[in-house]
Amino acid sequence: MNPFSRISPGRVFAATALFALAACSTPGGEPTQISDPLEPINRYIFAANLAVDTTILEPVATLYRDVVPDPARDSVRNFLRNLESPVVLANDVLQRDMDAAGVTTKRFFVNTTLGILGLFDPATDMGLVRRDEDFGQTLGTYGVGPGVYLVLPILGPSSLRDAAGNFVDYYFDPLNYYADNTDRGHLTLLRAGIRGVDARARTIETLDEIERTSIDFYATIRSLYHQRRQSDIRNGSAPSLPRLDLTGDAEEDRTASLEN
Amino acid sequence: MMRLRPFFLALVLATTFSIGAVAQKAQADTEEFIASLGDRALQVLVVDSQSETEREDAFRELLSEGFDLRLIGRYALGRYWRRATAEQRSEYAKLFEDFIVETYVARLGEYSGETLSVVSSRPDDQDTIVTSEIVREGRPPIRVDWRVRRGEGEPKIIDVVVEGVSMLLTQRDEFASVIQRSGGNVEGLLARLREKSGAAE
Repeated sequence: MNPFSRISPGRVFAATALFALAACSTPGGEPTQISDPLEPINRYIFAANLAVDTTILEPVATLYRDVVPDPARDSVRNFLRNLESPVVLANDVLQRDMDAAGVTTKRFFVNTTLGILGLFDPATDMGLVRRDEDFGQTLGTYGVGPGVYLVLPILGPSSLRDAAGNFVDYYFDPLNYYADNTDRGHLTLLRAGIRGVDARARTIETLDEIERTSIDFYATIRSLYHQRRQSDIRNGSAPSLPRLDLTGDAEEDRTASLEN
Repeated sequence: MMRLRPFFLALVLATTFSIGAVAQKAQADTEEFIASLGDRALQVLVVDSQSETEREDAFRELLSEGFDLRLIGRYALGRYWRRATAEQRSEYAKLFEDFIVETYVARLGEYSGETLSVVSSRPDDQDTIVTSEIVREGRPPIRVDWRVRRGEGEPKIIDVVVEGVSMLLTQRDEFASVIQRSGGNVEGLLARLREKSGAAE
């Protein structure tokens, strides 16, 4: 059976359209703020997501964290991350980062064998440190800006570029072909669900604190998302700090100190 | 004229080197400043050592010692600083201090009791950026960059960047959003900050 038979023209079209949109909204330089023309809709979805989070996701994540011991949860995450290796590898290569591609490949072999199908992560102890890559980041390294900010139902903060990236990453993942071609679509969903619960279980206190200390939770999350993605695209290397455009303010400083 | 040239060259070289040495010394001092302040901050934040108010008070002291709160407040207000009246500015300064103490205690609190080690530093415009790591057992270290400005006096921190996320930039984005949503009026932000500080007491 043709492995591509399940890739519907609709999906390809949607991906291409998103990609094109993201590409043409490339801004010059690196703006500190992400544009958010859909803010009213985004805020609405954000509120709905929060409601879902409060009623379902957070309680499930809390239960998961309370019931499943730490090492087991780490193994769940290791296993899922190991499965994602092809996606990371594809993006390493597309970013022409052959060192990273080497690390990703070695990690996959070490963790699949010594790490018993990826349940453990001996590669990190061997100095092969994991770095997450996705097609949104790859586009970022090509100079594609985030486009507009999006809050996706259930999935949460994203951007035009990163949502388009998710579409593309779907096709880098052999498991998706397997699931599609054997009518096991539920596998993909199950994996996404576990990944979501696991990620949420690791951020319970952090998110609570951010919500508690914010005066505009939506704007704070939007800013954190954007800054985090910019940092990931740079792989945390220089320029490590977001640019603070302080030029106008410096003038102000002088005026202010004269006033005082 | 020709004979003067080596002299000039020597002068230029000497000046360059001594400026370099001074800059290096300043950078080392700045690293030292962050190392000691960072360690003290993480110790102050240790949860079980004291009550929440005691912790906040101790942290507030450290914050006013090590951070240029006035400048941070001004940058966080961004372009709206210009629009604020003198009364608004002074009320904002007071409210902002409460806000930043609570925010920092909450967001940095999860690293309490860990150790901070300074990795490197580099000049950036008029500031020095000190890169450090919070070292945690059995987990990958967390990268924290400090933007330190040395004005006329002591060096002061103006931004803390945790894993590429700037506290100052986050606050600026948040404040801008609140102000925009109240029709571009700074009063809208002051009202929210007042509510917040009232709720905390």
